[in-house]
Amino acid sequence: MSRAAASASPAPPTPTGAFLGEAAQLGSEHLGPAHLSVQGLSLRYPSSDVLALDSLSFEVPEGEQVALIGPNGAGKSSLLKAMVGLLRFQAGTVKVHGLSFGHDRDCVAYVPQREEVDWRFPVSVLDVVLMGRYARLGWLRRPGRADREAAAEALAALGLADLSDRPIGDLSGGQQQRVFLARALAQEPHILLLDEPFTGVDPVSQERVLALLAELRERRVTVIAATHDLELAAERFDRVLLLQRRLLAYGAAAEVFRPETIKAAYGHQALLADGWLLVDRRIPSPSANAAGSGQGGPS
Amino acid sequence: MAAMAPPAVWLPIADLAAWAALLEPLSYGFMQRGLLAALMVGALCGVVGCYVVLRGMAFLGDAMAHAILPGVALAYLLGMDLLLGAAAAALLVAVLISVVSRQGRLREDTAIGILFAGALSLGVALISSSRSYAVDLGHILFGNILAISPADLRLIGGLGLGVLGLVLLLYKELLLVSFDPVLAATLRLPVERLRLLLLVLLALTIVAGLRAVGVGLVSALLVTPAATASLLTRRLASMMRLAAVLGAGCGVAGLYLSYYLNVASGPAVVLLSTVVFAVVYLGQQARRSLP
Repeated sequence: MSRAAASASPAPPTPTGAFLGEAAQLGSEHLGPAHLSVQGLSLRYPSSDVLALDSLSFEVPEGEQVALIGPNGAGKSSLLKAMVGLLRFQAGTVKVHGLSFGHDRDCVAYVPQREEVDWRFPVSVLDVVLMGRYARLGWLRRPGRADREAAAEALAALGLADLSDRPIGDLSGGQQQRVFLARALAQEPHILLLDEPFTGVDPVSQERVLALLAELRERRVTVIAATHDLELAAERFDRVLLLQRRLLAYGAAAEVFRPETIKAAYGHQALLADGWLLVDRRIPSPSANAAGSGQGGPS
Repeated sequence: MAAMAPPAVWLPIADLAAWAALLEPLSYGFMQRGLLAALMVGALCGVVGCYVVLRGMAFLGDAMAHAILPGVALAYLLGMDLLLGAAAAALLVAVLISVVSRQGRLREDTAIGILFAGALSLGVALISSSRSYAVDLGHILFGNILAISPADLRLIGGLGLGVLGLVLLLYKELLLVSFDPVLAATLRLPVERLRLLLLVLLALTIVAGLRAVGVGLVSALLVTPAATASLLTRRLASMMRLAAVLGAGCGVAGLYLSYYLNVASGPAVVLLSTVVFAVVYLGQQARRSLP
């Protein structure tokens, strides 16, 4: 029933027919062209007078991959958290498939920059990935064979198949990050929000993440990834969203990476010369977790 | 070398003696009830204790046990059922701790420390107004597993089944909320309510353990078997099974020890589980230091 509803939509969002939530019951007419629509979103932290996000509006078509860029403190993480319901915002709407917030618990997945979990917790890698299936299972039901297969598939996609029985605490940092990506994949999301998936990971993990993005493109999963890596943003994503508390530019990389927009976002942290853009990320800021050096990218 | 061969004769005799030692206490009704209570309380505390150990709630468990004292004291003075008074106080304390820790104006352990000391003092003050002060306080603080009545047993059994049933039914929800509250929140699970539920389950477990080992030692039954299990396994489900077996085993064996060594039963149970923990811990340290 739900699968039929999914395939009746103009373009089936995922090959696995992942509509099992309210969206499916409400029928295909709600699956409008915009997979994700943010209108007038403003967010203020309780302790602050300044808006952390100032009336953002943008739409992401189904299956597009968007790089979210901006200097430290621009509100990239806040935007992702607001979209997934971890931060309460004061104004605006976030709609998924044209439906308001709350129905999306099994179709939006979020991977934070660094998981703040107790790594000594007695769970195996497979246990963690199976948690991605919980929303789909609902209360009281235990993961079944289909869930185990989805989890195993996700682990294989991130090159972790051999580690599935290992305790999560035994893995390296990069592997742990991939486990949480695998968990997001096992959620079979229509929209995947990634916070800094390329920061602080080893080259192997970075390659895996890039391969995953390619795979998600095949599956027409919408991706929004916050990143400091402007080169990756320009080369690997369909669109770039430049954020500095307000939305400064949104579009193809060639449109966004213009001297005036970059200057407006990065100010004195950016240097534009001879068709090259240099952005200094060494300036300390509360949200800076890695001491990044200069990052080059074509302007 | 021939002297090393085991003498074939005394083994069956030793077996018989061992059986007699095991069976003799069972001829007393109070020992039967005590052993049954130790079995149930040990297993229940072991399972719930896994969450206490994993979520770092050891101090909270201890504080909650002591904070129940005024409820017990009041029920005692009014001639009501002690465990009912304890249950009412425990639920109140669970809600209070949840409210105080959510407001975030004080560090959680500070708030718990204040609540715990105040409640303990109130409880002792209430009991001290009764004439048989010392004896009563001793029983409430350290339990008296050999004085357990059939009604107590039924209450412990009912509480145990209820708590274990919920822990099993909500296994994946409680696991998720304990391991990764961020994912739990993005999946729109009621994180705060599940936290409160864990506190309530902890409170009810403490009430069940109260008769057996008293408010002073019930937190040891919560922490020690689960901590021992956490050293031996790295999967939550097997940790719970192991902690239940360890808790029940130490409960029963501790009671036998107290019978034969003529020491108080609650401390015997707790001391035995402490020794088991120490042996496992040192054994692992020794194995790790080997090349």
